[in-house]
Amino acid sequence: MRAAKKQEMGTMTLSRVTLAFGALCAGAALSLGAVSPAAAQAFTPNAEIVQGLTSSVSDVPGVSAEALRDLAKAHMQYQGPPESRPPLALQLDQLAQINVEIEFDLNSAMVKPSSYRTLGAIADAMHNPVLLGYKFLVVGNTDATGTREYNMKLSQERADAIAQALTSTFRVDPRRIESVGLGEEALQNTKNPDAAINRRVQIFNIGRTGPLPQQ
Amino acid sequence: MKFAGLVLAALLALPAASAHAQTVSYAEAAGLLAQHCGEDIMRHCRGVNLGDGAINQCLAAHQAELSPACAANHESIRQMTEARAAAQQAVYKVCDRDRAEFCPGVVPGDGNLVSCLLEASKVVSQACTAALTNAGYR
Repeated sequence: MRAAKKQEMGTMTLSRVTLAFGALCAGAALSLGAVSPAAAQAFTPNAEIVQGLTSSVSDVPGVSAEALRDLAKAHMQYQGPPESRPPLALQLDQLAQINVEIEFDLNSAMVKPSSYRTLGAIADAMHNPVLLGYKFLVVGNTDATGTREYNMKLSQERADAIAQALTSTFRVDPRRIESVGLGEEALQNTKNPDAAINRRVQIFNIGRTGPLPQQ
Repeated sequence: MKFAGLVLAALLALPAASAHAQTVSYAEAAGLLAQHCGEDIMRHCRGVNLGDGAINQCLAAHQAELSPACAANHESIRQMTEARAAAQQAVYKVCDRDRAEFCPGVVPGDGNLVSCLLEASKVVSQACTAALTNAGYR
């Protein structure tokens, strides 16, 4: 029987780079008194994120939150159990991407404090000079517990919450971030629709920003 | 609280030409917030998100109810994030002369300017170098 509650969008292994965020978080155990300038190593812990998001293709196909949202909504026409639906062909494989583990509160778009450092690390990566000239798409996915409509809504709210933290608290230029929730329409493991691997946040590099006038 | 304030003051009072950044990364500041205030946030700010200063506002509104560690540190931690953000913003102003001299024609805003300044690191001014360091760009 499927649990009705949604706890989190979770980890992943199939992206180009699998990130050891557990190790990252373990390194966070500094007391405030121990914070010293010598500890301020720019980006070192985020090297994997930067590497994962660095575009390996110069000609990135046009990908946008809006286009993906339309595809996901169109995919909702397919009825039947998740494993019987045709896969949602998103054509995102060639994009530089990472899957990240972000913990959310139950049935909520609230990011748990345990994932704050991860959000900060993503922001640090987006501020890395190597990535400063690029735009990113934050994609939220759920597993197949609950209704499809609810999952669509919740995943959008969760992707938006991440984008909001990045663009306000961590000052990533909002013109560089798009967010979309795909609900349960893009299951990574279709044979096990409720598998944890399906609850994931993905971040894609979707190409150069071009000049952004200072605001 | 005084102690945390002193640590931050010490952090900010270092000489500008220090080889080390006077700011900490967003990840570090965010990790400290979770470490000191994670339980308080789940208790007093459930459903509130990090964006738009909402968590900071919530913590401030519950100041009297917070755990001692959180009550003493959350404002200092907020200032760490603000310091990094201000340092990133300051690069364009502090490095403007260097931009004109070493990166003519590079348009600020597409990431190329910071890359250019970093490539020219041996010749850019000390102030610009310090600004790049504090921004976490080098």
